Amino acid sequence: MSDASVPASAHPAAPGPSIMRLAVHREDVAVGDEIVRHRLLSRVIHWVVALFFMVALLTGMPIYSPVFGWMATLFGGLSVCRWLHAWSGIAFSVASAVMVLHWLSDMKLVPHDLKFNLVQYMQFSAAEDPEIGKYNPGQKLFFWTIPLVTLMVLLSGIPLWWPTKFGSTLRQVCIIVHDVGFIMWFVAIVGHVYLGTAAEPGTFRSMTRGTVTKAWARLHHPKWFRDVTGDRKE
Amino acid sequence: MTNGWVDIKNADVVLIMGSNAAENHPCGFKWAIEAKKVRSAKLVNVDPRFTRTSAVSDVYAPIRPGTDIAFLNGIIRHALATGRFHEDYVKLHTNATYVISDKFGFNEGLFSGFDEATGQYDKSSWAYEADPKSQAYSVDPEMKNPRCVFQLLKKHVERYTPEMVERICGTPKEEFLKVADVVTSTGNAQRVGTIMYALGWTQHSTGVQMIRAAATMQLLLGNVGRPGGGVNALRGHSNIQGATDMAGTFEILPGYLATPRGELTNLQTYLTKVTPTTLNQQNWASMNYFSNYPKFMVSLLKAAYGKAATKENQWGYDWLPKTDGNYSWMYLFDDMYRGNSPGRAGGTEPGPEGFITFGMNPVGIGPNSSKMINALSKLKWMVVGENYEIETATFWKAPKEYGGPDSSQIQTEVFQLPCSGFAEKDGTFTNSARWLQWKWKAIDPPGQAKTDQEILARIFLAVRDLYRKEGGALPEPVLNMTWAYTNPVNPDLGEVLKEINGKALTDIKDPKDPTKVIRKAGEQLAGFGELQDDGSTASGNWLHTGVYTEAGNLAQRRNNADPTGLGMFHQWAFSWPANRRVMYNRASADKDGKAWDPTRPGIVWNGEKWVGDVPDIKPDSPPGQFGAFIMNAEGVGRLFSPSLADGPMAEHYEATEAAIENPLHAKVTSNPVSMGLLKKFKSDKDKLGSREDFPVVCTTYRLTEHYHYWTHHTAALNQLQPGFFIEIPEALAREKGIVNGGQARVTSARGSIQGVAMVTKRLRQLKIDGKQVWHIGFPLHWGYAGDPKHLGPLANFLTPTAMDPNTWTPEFKTFLVKLEKAEGKVA
Amino acid sequence: MGAIQGFEIRRSSASLRGSATQLRTLPVVAKYIDTSTCIGCKACEVACQEWNDLPVSQTEQVGTYQTMPSLQASYWNLIQFREVDYQGGVAWLMRKDQCMHCADPGCLAACPAPGAIVQYQNGIVDVDPEKCIGCGLCEPGCPFDVPRYSERTNKMAKCTLCVDRVEVGLEPACVKACPTGCLQFGDKDTLLAYGKHRVTALKEGGFAEAAVYDPPGVGGTSVITVLRHGDHPEWYGLPKDPTVPVAVSLWKRILHPLGFIAMGAALFGTLGHFMTVGPKKPKDTSTTSGGEV
Repeated sequence: MSDASVPASAHPAAPGPSIMRLAVHREDVAVGDEIVRHRLLSRVIHWVVALFFMVALLTGMPIYSPVFGWMATLFGGLSVCRWLHAWSGIAFSVASAVMVLHWLSDMKLVPHDLKFNLVQYMQFSAAEDPEIGKYNPGQKLFFWTIPLVTLMVLLSGIPLWWPTKFGSTLRQVCIIVHDVGFIMWFVAIVGHVYLGTAAEPGTFRSMTRGTVTKAWARLHHPKWFRDVTGDRKE
Repeated sequence: MTNGWVDIKNADVVLIMGSNAAENHPCGFKWAIEAKKVRSAKLVNVDPRFTRTSAVSDVYAPIRPGTDIAFLNGIIRHALATGRFHEDYVKLHTNATYVISDKFGFNEGLFSGFDEATGQYDKSSWAYEADPKSQAYSVDPEMKNPRCVFQLLKKHVERYTPEMVERICGTPKEEFLKVADVVTSTGNAQRVGTIMYALGWTQHSTGVQMIRAAATMQLLLGNVGRPGGGVNALRGHSNIQGATDMAGTFEILPGYLATPRGELTNLQTYLTKVTPTTLNQQNWASMNYFSNYPKFMVSLLKAAYGKAATKENQWGYDWLPKTDGNYSWMYLFDDMYRGNSPGRAGGTEPGPEGFITFGMNPVGIGPNSSKMINALSKLKWMVVGENYEIETATFWKAPKEYGGPDSSQIQTEVFQLPCSGFAEKDGTFTNSARWLQWKWKAIDPPGQAKTDQEILARIFLAVRDLYRKEGGALPEPVLNMTWAYTNPVNPDLGEVLKEINGKALTDIKDPKDPTKVIRKAGEQLAGFGELQDDGSTASGNWLHTGVYTEAGNLAQRRNNADPTGLGMFHQWAFSWPANRRVMYNRASADKDGKAWDPTRPGIVWNGEKWVGDVPDIKPDSPPGQFGAFIMNAEGVGRLFSPSLADGPMAEHYEATEAAIENPLHAKVTSNPVSMGLLKKFKSDKDKLGSREDFPVVCTTYRLTEHYHYWTHHTAALNQLQPGFFIEIPEALAREKGIVNGGQARVTSARGSIQGVAMVTKRLRQLKIDGKQVWHIGFPLHWGYAGDPKHLGPLANFLTPTAMDPNTWTPEFKTFLVKLEKAEGKVA
Repeated sequence: MGAIQGFEIRRSSASLRGSATQLRTLPVVAKYIDTSTCIGCKACEVACQEWNDLPVSQTEQVGTYQTMPSLQASYWNLIQFREVDYQGGVAWLMRKDQCMHCADPGCLAACPAPGAIVQYQNGIVDVDPEKCIGCGLCEPGCPFDVPRYSERTNKMAKCTLCVDRVEVGLEPACVKACPTGCLQFGDKDTLLAYGKHRVTALKEGGFAEAAVYDPPGVGGTSVITVLRHGDHPEWYGLPKDPTVPVAVSLWKRILHPLGFIAMGAALFGTLGHFMTVGPKKPKDTSTTSGGEV
């Protein structure tokens, strides 16, 4: 893991291209002040998922309520939304499945994760648990929520997609399930975006450049930082 | 109909029997519904199947197919036993008081005069007895004489107890009594009941007698001639009434005049034979209106042959075709099938070699389809005038199971002439209410299709040209035929209607005052009262005279003014006879000419004349002068009728294919006269089945969604009723392992058909004479021509050559079959 | 069609604000069906198809008099035939099935497309195919199983009570074609009174439970039905006490507000969190944290 022998940054401008090139194929390597957190494939998967998600969200919301009717205009009207929502939903589900498989090994829950306290965590005051690895239990929870809620929304979405193939009662249940799923998604995604951007500066670049600063890593994922850099525990 | 469609709204009780009025006459049925909604009339339905009519009826009773006489006689017995009949009416307007010959009798199912050898009755013993002194009809006003009609009828129906009705009809006693109570509730002056019947009565070997029983019942209840009453035949086709009026069958000329038989070699012999006489020489009991027969006949001959018809040549009587036998449907096809072979049923001439059929579908509509198909294959040529390529036009392509010869063996040359449909030509429809209603063409016929009249005119003109050029054996009937149409090739139907109505050929003088001319030469006649037997008038159909007068085409009238409030609509179209809306309407009034029920007067005597409907009596004849039934020689309605072929009173006989022995007289199970006629049908195709081999009773019928064999060519209606099915009672289906929507096979002695099973609660399980007798049925609308997705078996593949002996109408409504579960799709 | 009709709209699907002035009023119309005088002739079915230019359907005989199992996107009027054991015999019940034109239409409530389903001031519930997005959500919204989604055209369709005829003063095509007069059209109050009169007659005729079916659960309907067996509407294929389905109410009345609250809470919650707790940054912020490198 820590076989990165790339010299530290003597010339600040020079390592840029090289770490970016590295970040295409590899992750969990430190170069200078930075660590590759997400290689290109991971980032592409994430953004594909995010894109389909956003399309599904924006085409679904005007169907959900006329309050969001303006969103339909972005896609050419509600009729477009009606089919685009279904197809983007399918695409999102497929992409999510790929994503889940891709991150499966990293997201394995370990006994230590049970000690995680989300409320405490969100207070941002206490020191970080030194045993937090590449992903904290909150992230893992979010990750595992994805297939669950996706499945919920996907399965309830199919009868709604094909009105003639399913019974009225089932479709009524599906309306409720689909809606509840949507609300869960909405809340979760707001949290996800907030934590990935404003709440924890330095995070967002891990999904763009793929890298984070060592300081960031040390703060948020101490164990992962140690594993990558070979540092000892403080 | 004695009354009319609209008049049904005036009824207190509507008995629907032998008819599925709601399904087959949905538009006319509105008046039954109207009676129900407005008068709270009771709709009573007696039918083997619980139909869409039953669904809206107030009282429904099931009955085994073909046993209606037992049911009706049971009601008659009930009326007599409980006194629920209209006694004043019966004494005044029926022959109840008339005494019958002492030679009359009834024993073990046979009336007096039956000849076993010929299978026919000598009817002389059924005649009225003449008073030895006056030579007038002998009557007993008190109806006590054991030989008066009332007592004879009472004795005759005595056997039809509710228990016997249950034994024969399978109708549970309580259900029968409920019907009897409601129906006989009209046996008084205050209430009126009507009957709606159709082919469910006519298409039996006892069909005419069923209607006889109904007429007897209605006369007894005092329901004939009154608004809201009558015996009403519902005609199934839009213009079948018109067809019948205009000589729809071989034995009648237009206006129900008799087709002369060969032995009546001159007009006088013919007129003497057919013109009825009355025993009342005084003329006070009966107008005997048919004594005017010669006027009708001579006017008809003048219409046919015009100037060529003279007194010297008996108005061309010799040119009229004469019959030498029976040319009704089954006889004709027996002749056709058997060609020249001896012992045929019909005439003495060999079977026909050519056949022209317009607006018909013989393969479908005749009984015993296999015989029909085989008969057509014996022809040299056939002309079919039709809108569609029907089964008859393609008989040579009939599926193998119908048993026709291989098409390579058939020499028949078939010509199909495309005809216009009803909406593609104008003309009249004569409905069941006898209304001649003009209709206007909606669209032009498609493609090369021509109207029937143009096709017929072109054929006629071509034949006449041939006679002119080449002569022939008897050219006069053709050469002398009147053909004075503006466009001889395509006669205008208005002109034809004018011709049917008739006109004066010379000035007609008032018989009371010969100086006065009542009708000038060339004018249209105002009514059949103006017809003459001296050649001064011409009329194509005396019954229709009055439809196209100097006032114009009255069939086009559409004024819905109704001053009577009874729905008579005298200014709407024209109702034969004489624009009369209720026939025998004199019977709607009592001996003083007052209405039995003042709220529903037919006609009433105002001291000078009869007012209300167009009176069915001499308009200025005071009450008491003439009897109400002017077409009957005796002037009254007949509870006992000496004129029918199979008995003066209705008697229950089993169908030709009898499901049980007749519980009344096992030795004479089926109608003896019908059975006698059947002996003439000796071909290999004329097979009857036994109840041992074919234990299930079967009936056929029509559906509201389709029209005969015609509309299975119409996509929109195929959608509503996509295909043939067999209705089977639930318990029988269970016994046979048949499931709803699965396949079933029905087999008779003639053939076997398969179709989708419709397992239903609507066919009841009936106990007949102590045992279980099942009945099933299927509709008849399908065939092998047309849209391949909507083909089906010909229902009449299974029906027998069996008939009513008066009308020779086939017995489609009751025959024996066996039922089995079947696999797969219809062949 | 909704938009081109001249009738004032009372309610419109998925609209934030009503599209009506609410000043123009119309009497509520109704179609009256008297099942006790319906003879199941299907003239109404054909008239409906003819007037509305609906294509012929390919049907198959499966052992019933009923034209097809249920309504179709291109078949808006269907007589339902049912055989019921009744008093030792059978009752053969025929009921004309079509849109009931509820005063409180579940389809309209469930419809997400603005203006796709409208209810006019006279009570007619109509569909505007131009605005219909073919989502089919109206189907589970209907307690009478009426709206049909066409896979071919991706549109929903149902009886419009011939609003195009009604607008020019004509009765619906089915009513026009009915031979027995079991169908009537007019203002609802008059027809309700007439229905009650019929019910009285039926009760006198031995049908003690006869009733007019005008279910209050959906606010009444603009198709009122006289039933001989008013205590058993289910014998006719009518729900006993229909309401806008619970799912639709739950969805529109409870889940929607809750959803908005949840969405608002999520957005404002994060904002509040940011303002009170603020971002979590590494202590020794280096020049490379965040931003461009």
